[in-house]
Amino acid sequence: MSLAASAQSGSRLWWAPGQGTALADFTTYQNDRGAVGVLNTSGRLETKGHPFFEPIGTNGRACVTCHQPADGMSLSVRTVRERWEATAGKDPLFAAVDGMNCPHLPPDDPRSHSLLLERGLIRVALPWPPRNPDGSRIDPEFTIEVVRDPSGCNTHRTYGLESANPMISVFRRPRPVANTKYTTHQNFGVSPFIAKSGLPTATDPATGRPTSMNLMSDARAPTLAVQAQDAAEQHLQLKGRLTPSQLAGIVEFEGQVYVAQVSSTAAGSLIDADGPPAFGPRQLAAGDAGVLGNNTTRYVFPMGGKWKQLPRTASDADNARNAARESIARGHDVFMFRTFWIRDSMHLNSVGLGNPTKRTCATCHGMHMTGMDTVNGWMDIGTTNLPWATEVPLNPWNEAQPQMPLFRVTCKPEVKPHPFLGRVIYTQDPGRALISGRCNDVGTIVMEQFRGLAARAPYFSNGSAATLRELVDFYDRRYNIGYSEQEKQDLVNFLGAL
Amino acid sequence: MVARRRLVAAAVWLVSASVVGAQQPTNFVSCPIVRDTASVPCWLAEYNGELYFLTLQTDVSAPVTPPWLGHRVLVEGAVSAEPRICGGIVLKPVHLSVLERDASCNTMLPAEERYNLTFEPPRPPGPSGGRLAFANTPSAPRPAVTASAREFVVSYPFDGLVGFTHAGALTEILQFARTVNAREIEIVGYRGSVRLSNGQTMVEEPAIGKKRAEQVAMLLKGANLTEPAYQVSWRDEAAPATGVDDYLSRRVVVTVRR
Repeated sequence: MSLAASAQSGSRLWWAPGQGTALADFTTYQNDRGAVGVLNTSGRLETKGHPFFEPIGTNGRACVTCHQPADGMSLSVRTVRERWEATAGKDPLFAAVDGMNCPHLPPDDPRSHSLLLERGLIRVALPWPPRNPDGSRIDPEFTIEVVRDPSGCNTHRTYGLESANPMISVFRRPRPVANTKYTTHQNFGVSPFIAKSGLPTATDPATGRPTSMNLMSDARAPTLAVQAQDAAEQHLQLKGRLTPSQLAGIVEFEGQVYVAQVSSTAAGSLIDADGPPAFGPRQLAAGDAGVLGNNTTRYVFPMGGKWKQLPRTASDADNARNAARESIARGHDVFMFRTFWIRDSMHLNSVGLGNPTKRTCATCHGMHMTGMDTVNGWMDIGTTNLPWATEVPLNPWNEAQPQMPLFRVTCKPEVKPHPFLGRVIYTQDPGRALISGRCNDVGTIVMEQFRGLAARAPYFSNGSAATLRELVDFYDRRYNIGYSEQEKQDLVNFLGAL
Repeated sequence: MVARRRLVAAAVWLVSASVVGAQQPTNFVSCPIVRDTASVPCWLAEYNGELYFLTLQTDVSAPVTPPWLGHRVLVEGAVSAEPRICGGIVLKPVHLSVLERDASCNTMLPAEERYNLTFEPPRPPGPSGGRLAFANTPSAPRPAVTASAREFVVSYPFDGLVGFTHAGALTEILQFARTVNAREIEIVGYRGSVRLSNGQTMVEEPAIGKKRAEQVAMLLKGANLTEPAYQVSWRDEAAPATGVDDYLSRRVVVTVRR
């Protein structure tokens, strides 16, 4: 297979750093549920020499390494495994710095890369205690101890919490670099003070304007430019700063790429002219950014009343397609209208809705076209905090061992305990609290956009849901929703069509 | 005709009695109770063998937001003449403070036919009709800034610091200070107390006034309002509680001078 062929529609091949092929204005890539579309609104892009696609750091990686077009500009665990097989673990993706569970582990051993190979996780090392943007130390509201350290990184003398340069390693999924006008919007809910806490909002260092803080899972980078610089240094191991030209090139590209599923193996084309206006990257590119869709005038994902009841014909194929489309429409209605009790979720139940609150998926996932939060969107739904986080059952009959680190967080006596978890919290990833130092932020993660999901399993920031069904099952378990089997299937089909 | 006059007089008396009742403070600490309905949940609390209606689930724009199960709630209200809602005597106005954790506060009552709401809730339990439930009226145009100083009052729940309700108030202070190129910001933090209907008095934690004042200064500076000179002070003595409008004593007063 030639390099040029890897960029053609229908393929889901690896986009190698520096391969130099052009990115078409619109490309589709196959996945298990159909195909995802990648739209470049500025037209065909020559990637030769482009800073997003070139290995501008020192370890052979480029931005595209972890933001693959075939994976909806993110990185699926399927792709990770394929790269391991194709390169015997030599691909720069598996660089020791963060493509390994910890840099001190033996290279080329899949066990050293198990978190990346099994859950698609990249190591993120953060300073402890946390720092303000100006580099000054934050006095955290809690102490943190390492309870379990399967990677060995958090207790390592060079990389760990007790090292000369104390760091905490957490493991997170790469977020999709697409549809960024939504993730960086300046619209509803963006104000000088965070709507959920009253604390000051992070500002754009270039303009001084408040930001939506919805870009990263811990909101540590307020803008695409800050994130690009941080990623270049941390993940590409760039020595020094990006040049202004490189930075501008990356940010410009990231602002013009839109990703969404365009076809379904069961439901056919998702982007027919007479289809629902929710689907496909062109609708995303045309949509209004940063507006609330948790209402019946705009909708989070507008279906336009389509596909609710489709005709049956003599064609079995047509009937099967129409049945799949009706399932997607029902899944939308489950997302939008199926109420359940949401309880003990920090920055959701604590922000004026009461605990519990009887609402729907769309209550939190309310941003028009993406299902993110319009306001600063970190919440604790239990994906990383115990008792809800997925943990390996420990018993004499189970040989599996925990993969994720476990931390014990103790809120200091002078601050109030966490309102729902108390003074002592066990967590696989303290999330936003590693940046803010606040007890109430422990285990809070910025919710992610719902687009291109079928291209980029697994899900949640810690990759704990291998499939969309596992994702739905997590919510069903966490909030005791009691979805019927039909509701689960419909919801999965709907999410897979986004 | 006489009979009619008597009837009117009786009605006036009833209304007067209701008005008197409406002014009667009802302040207590209890576990909140949530009752499901066919539409939105009702929030209730028991006190002295009576059930009181606190609020409905609506949205974040509501003037009264629901309490939390798993925590006790301080209720500062006045009995209203309105018909019972969800079986509870309506407290209006009412101020709610989420207090310490209490796992025994865990009562969820199922929906019952007899407790269906007799009115459309300001917002359904799912998606809205496109507007926030209580923020439908566009605010009047802001008058031109002419005064040399303006005072802002930031209110708090009992023992509370900054929270989700404060983003708007802080933004208003920030914008005014920037508009007038403020040269001085005076911040005074207060510690409150509340007299309960059982005669007891609850006093906020001793350092709360200091914490509030210093936090407001930190937040404004954190929002890059660093040009003005800050005068930060607080009152350690709690304001005396009367049982009426005691919630007003939990506050920070910010005076912005140009």
